[in-house]
Amino acid sequence: MTGEPEDPARLPERRRSLRDRLRGPWRVVVDEGSMLPGIAPGDWLLIDPTTRAWPQNGSVVVFREPVSAELAIKRVRARAGERVPFNGGYIVLSEGEAWLEADATPRIAADAGFGAPIDSDRFGPVPVDLLVGRVWFRYGPSGRIGRIARPPSV
Amino acid sequence: MSKEFQSTFRSVIASIAPKTTVRAHCDLPCGVYDPEQARIEAESCYRIVEKYAANEDVAYRTRAIAIKEQRADLVKHHLDVLWHDYFKPEHLETVPNLHDLFWQATKQVSKVKASTDLADAKRLLDLVDQVDAAWKATGGPSKTRVAGRPG
Repeated sequence: MTGEPEDPARLPERRRSLRDRLRGPWRVVVDEGSMLPGIAPGDWLLIDPTTRAWPQNGSVVVFREPVSAELAIKRVRARAGERVPFNGGYIVLSEGEAWLEADATPRIAADAGFGAPIDSDRFGPVPVDLLVGRVWFRYGPSGRIGRIARPPSV
Repeated sequence: MSKEFQSTFRSVIASIAPKTTVRAHCDLPCGVYDPEQARIEAESCYRIVEKYAANEDVAYRTRAIAIKEQRADLVKHHLDVLWHDYFKPEHLETVPNLHDLFWQATKQVSKVKASTDLADAKRLLDLVDQVDAAWKATGGPSKTRVAGRPG
């Protein structure tokens, strides 16, 4: 960990100013497999850390995981006002909240040697204060370079 | 390629490489599975039923039933882990009755909880042994245990 400020995104208690957000991170490397098959461990991603609100459903985001505060990556499944099926019923997301989901099914994760993906089913809705940035481009490895798109269905 | 070019190339790569890691967070799978865990807890149930029958003391019997309940829950847990995490769809080719077997075995656990009949506990042991056979038939011992265990 050299070059960049040690941990620019770790300010979850309050809304980060534009100046904080401009400090990045602008590029990240992925560890673990809950976003397979689209996003694999070792992928180099460009993110837009100036994003202030949860982007459209289907977008891939980097955020601070509730409880652990670790930098994590998931896909936006639903935003404020929407209903999400949960635990046999559903919940309605409040202002500023998003429901984030893994792309990998437990089966896909298991085949790649990982346990069950951890997402909002585990840690619940994520407040926008924990949003770090929107993922928009993969710039490595060389054979996988390209835009990170929203799936056509959402 | 010249040495200078290679070193320039490496330093360019190093300078564009991300410094920040994001986790596509998953549970950590230990990958160690063995029906013996379920078998040991099922044997506990079996022995508890035996001891229950041999003792008239009310307090002892109450305690035996409470412990049987706990052990039976552990049997169910270990069976569930094997079913969800160890076995995969392709194993159905080797063990076509796999789902029915787990269904029967976990239902038998519920029966053992409600029963003080030794035959029910024995039936559970038999079903756990069938799960063990399925684990062995799909290469479980070599794939999931460490350093040659079980011996």
